[in-house]
Amino acid sequence: MSDQHLLEVRDLVVRFRTHDGAVHAVNGVSFDLAAGETLGVAGESGCGKSVTNLAIVGLLPKPAGRVEGGSVKLQGRELTTLKEEELRQVRGSEIAMIFQDPMTSLNPVLRIEEQLIETIQAHREVSKEAARARAIELLVAVGVANPESRLRSYPHEFSGGMRQRVMIAMALALEPRVLIADEPTTALDVTIQAQVLDLLRRLTEERGTATILVTHDLGVLAGMADRINVMYAGAVIESGTTDDLFANPRHPYTVGLLRSIPRLDGETGGKLVPIEGRPPDLIQAPVGCSFYARCAWRTDRCATETPALLPIDGGRGPVVTSGAAATHVAACFNPVAPAEVAEGRPLPRAGGAIR
Amino acid sequence: MFRAALVDPQIARSSRGLWGDAARRLRRNKPALVGLFCIVLFALAAILAPIISPFDPYAMNGSSLDAPSLTHLFGTDLLGRDIFSRVLYGAQISLFVGVGAVVLALAIGGVLGAIAGGFGGRIDGVIMRATDVFLSIPSILLAIGIVTALGRGMVQLMFAIAVSYAPTFARLLRGSLLALREADYVVAARTIGASRMRVLVRHMLPNALTPLIVQATLVLATAIIDIAGLGFLGLGPADPRTPEWGTMLVDARRFMQTAPHIVVFIGGAIVISAIGFNLLGDGLRESLDPKLKR
Repeated sequence: MSDQHLLEVRDLVVRFRTHDGAVHAVNGVSFDLAAGETLGVAGESGCGKSVTNLAIVGLLPKPAGRVEGGSVKLQGRELTTLKEEELRQVRGSEIAMIFQDPMTSLNPVLRIEEQLIETIQAHREVSKEAARARAIELLVAVGVANPESRLRSYPHEFSGGMRQRVMIAMALALEPRVLIADEPTTALDVTIQAQVLDLLRRLTEERGTATILVTHDLGVLAGMADRINVMYAGAVIESGTTDDLFANPRHPYTVGLLRSIPRLDGETGGKLVPIEGRPPDLIQAPVGCSFYARCAWRTDRCATETPALLPIDGGRGPVVTSGAAATHVAACFNPVAPAEVAEGRPLPRAGGAIR
Repeated sequence: MFRAALVDPQIARSSRGLWGDAARRLRRNKPALVGLFCIVLFALAAILAPIISPFDPYAMNGSSLDAPSLTHLFGTDLLGRDIFSRVLYGAQISLFVGVGAVVLALAIGGVLGAIAGGFGGRIDGVIMRATDVFLSIPSILLAIGIVTALGRGMVQLMFAIAVSYAPTFARLLRGSLLALREADYVVAARTIGASRMRVLVRHMLPNALTPLIVQATLVLATAIIDIAGLGFLGLGPADPRTPEWGTMLVDARRFMQTAPHIVVFIGGAIVISAIGFNLLGDGLRESLDPKLKR
């Protein structure tokens, strides 16, 4: 099943060397991305979402951060061993990124024009006029009014939403195959969020761009993603189509995440339930399940053995790793039963080896 | 009539760059304007010295130690030379050596700082330890040492002052670059595939420049004082007749009791030029600071 995937990440391990010891930021993340699909990545701060993305494009902060294992393949081409110059060619033209804060992601001393043209000319041998014409086209595509005159503006003359539109224009300038959007709307207010997300969805659909959408806003994912990876402590702990995941979460952490956000379709007046405790200290090498300390479903086995990401129905049939028919997988020895989801706690079971 | 009001001010207003904004803020800063006035005075004196000075600064044009008069605005020195003319030519020397030294210091420090901050790693360590060594020696002492080693002369003077200030610039630039390395737009520039060199030159350096400009202006003030200081210590230009302010002060000091006006005029010239650059530097710091941007 390997050939048709646009991006294949296998057992990616990223460590940061610090004075206190190695930080195990990403511990064996694997996922696939098919052309044109939108993969949502959810998880709390520090769970390795952004680090995974930076590792994919080889932009981990040096010298502390390093990919210590695993592979990242873009159309079969290994990225982790590429030379800096080759990687540079990949960035922007094949994989582009959009960041969280549009207020700081544009260079304050350069006009929008210069930044857009630079992006285009970094990869294409085109004249300045041609690049400029393309820049105008892009601004029109992202809905910036008066593109000719706006090109001459500096970033501080734009509003946050407009800047994020410019960022999207820059990211899509070279029609990349993969777009990594790292919390693209977190810094925007809600109405602008919706506009920007709409724009992002429309443009990526038109161009068939595969998107990795990182966010901790599950509401955004519900509307945007075809598939969701839930990450915790540097690992994917549950993955499946958006429908599967929202309808039938199996990992206790996913259940906790879903219970901690308000829902429009659920009962009203219910309390939001936070997940107790804190994520583990990533300086310690992970032993057993990383969610053990906070988990109500934990068993003795969870303390010593690390659960693998396995199909929730026990593994009948081939595992599909991308697309609309992706297999729902979870890394849990004692997954949450459907009846327990609403309760938020384990119910006594027949075989019951709970704690 | 009403159409004008309907135009979006964002669009109607022509886009002002960083410098346009800074200039606008600078115009509202009184002390900075005073500083600018002092500098213009100083620069005009230097540039126009050959035209406006009434006498040859090297020739005896009057009797010894004349008091200020209409012929000799600032009086004359021991050898009967016109002090006004000498002060004007002195401005020329201070401006030339001062600006030269700062430009040279900026060039040396800028390159070192850019390499250290832009590339990091071992080269950064080596450059920073070297600047530590230089910074541990008081700058005037370092300059004295260099002039002593190289011999007296204007170029040597310029070089000595440049070397003593270059480490400051290197540190400053490196610090700004380090902070910028993690800036979102720098990472963003790299994600679109800009090369390392391009990111450094186009995205990082321009943003690291403002503290450097401010510092250069302030250092120019100290450089002028240092030039006079070295001249005062007998390490000025090789020719003792040269109308260098510090050298002139040494002579004037001996007559502080009998002809105090000489010290006052020369000292005043030094103070005005140094204060000018100081005030302008402070004003620039305020008007270029993006945090104060409105």
